[in-house]
Amino acid sequence: MEHNNTQNQLDSKHTNWIGLFTMFRREVKRTFRVAIQTLVAPVISATLYIFIFGMVIGSQITEVSGVPYITFVFPGILMLAVINSSFASASSALYFMRFTRGIEEILITPFSYLEMLIGFVGSAITRAVIVAFLILGVGFAFGAISLTHPILFTLYIAGIASIFAMLGILVALWAESFEQLQVLNTFVITPLTYLGGIFYSINFLPDLAKNLTELNPFFYFTDAVRSSMIGISEANSLIGTILIVSLIIALGLLVTTLFKKGWKIRA
Amino acid sequence: MYSQPILEIKDLVKIYGKGTKTKLAVDHISLTIPHGSFFGLLGPNGAGKSTLIHCITGIAEPTGGQILVDGTDVVKEYKLARTKVGLSPQEFNVDIFSTAEELMDFMGGYYGIGSEERKSRIDELIKRFGLEEHRKVPFQKLSGGLKRRTMLGRALIHTPKLLILDEPTAGVDIKQRHDLWSYLQEINSLGTTIILTSHYLEEVQHLCNEIAIINHGKIIAGGTKEEFTKNGKSLEQAYLEITKESETEQK
Repeated sequence: MEHNNTQNQLDSKHTNWIGLFTMFRREVKRTFRVAIQTLVAPVISATLYIFIFGMVIGSQITEVSGVPYITFVFPGILMLAVINSSFASASSALYFMRFTRGIEEILITPFSYLEMLIGFVGSAITRAVIVAFLILGVGFAFGAISLTHPILFTLYIAGIASIFAMLGILVALWAESFEQLQVLNTFVITPLTYLGGIFYSINFLPDLAKNLTELNPFFYFTDAVRSSMIGISEANSLIGTILIVSLIIALGLLVTTLFKKGWKIRA
Repeated sequence: MYSQPILEIKDLVKIYGKGTKTKLAVDHISLTIPHGSFFGLLGPNGAGKSTLIHCITGIAEPTGGQILVDGTDVVKEYKLARTKVGLSPQEFNVDIFSTAEELMDFMGGYYGIGSEERKSRIDELIKRFGLEEHRKVPFQKLSGGLKRRTMLGRALIHTPKLLILDEPTAGVDIKQRHDLWSYLQEINSLGTTIILTSHYLEEVQHLCNEIAIINHGKIIAGGTKEEFTKNGKSLEQAYLEITKESETEQK
């Protein structure tokens, strides 16, 4: 038997590009296999948000921060879908792999710990980007779209998706049941997202609530996406950018370390 | 000729848990398997066989000692070491909604095999294991025997130098078992080293040329098949005698 030497290039000095692409490809297949849950549901939610807050309530509000209400809320609605998709993708994929021991496929194949991180996060970003494009399509249909800084928009979306993908990985490693998988989403992500200024301007709030909102990291995520889409910012953009970059680095280091230790994934 | 054995295990220790709740699963095992061997690894449930396999393949990290696969350290040079090993595990650790073809395709991709080569290898394995009619069927809908064959195909997708088979014929009917034996003997004769764990001792006696028995995390006997079956004993008789003796000593 002729033993394959192609993969013998995969030592510590070479990146397993085909392996990484396979992880992304697999997540795309998985996404389309359960399209109602992964693609249709977020698009329906976003459409309802846009219709109710943008068209129905929005028709009673002249402008917010100098733009139509639907234009003001759309970036936040899109970000909400990106957060939910990236978090759900990473957490469900890894937890399911732990549950079925499918994670052993990754452990026995030539992936470094950093490549494992990139594979899981990249797969989650891939799903989040597909969802983002679909919602952008809905936005076009409702005339809610404006893209002032497309490159910044792409970077912010990818950055925010990677933060929530890594949080999803942490929850998937920690959780011992499907119920626990929802804990962070239910008690932290959803409340902080809704209180992060998606549907209202921070200027509508009394001083105390305004100050508290400025301590909410989700406020900076929303503002970053909004400023890149419509050019209006209510937060200090520098703080927002530093926060996003810092969280990516800190969570990346933490997840890579946990992968290296094999916490909850190795025998 | 090979300058080093396909597998060299030196003083391997694996302890699970921390503090007061620890379990010594592998207790200072040393083992050398030459290239081309068909090696039987036997032992009662919980003896340490699976842990040993997990340490070789990267599913578990050794607590102490060293494992070299074809001269490559499985901890220090783990990426390279993993390209040399294929594993067909006892449990069906797969995404049950994926098809047999997809499972082989994904595994090939993880091993860094390009799409053309992967496709041709999948076609070859699908044909070899008689999965043509079932290649597009989700894993969960396959029979036990077809599942086992899919697992074997997946383990062989990257033509590993060392193939580890953990109960590869459990749930497989007698005809299919004999077909699998023929295939395993064929790839072994072509140079693939195989480590087999099985509770079917006639299977081990039929296929393996070297055997080790492990119990309580230690190798309690080792040698050629002929050494185990001398004086007209079957491997099963020899195995029962050795493990009984080991249990008595343990008490």
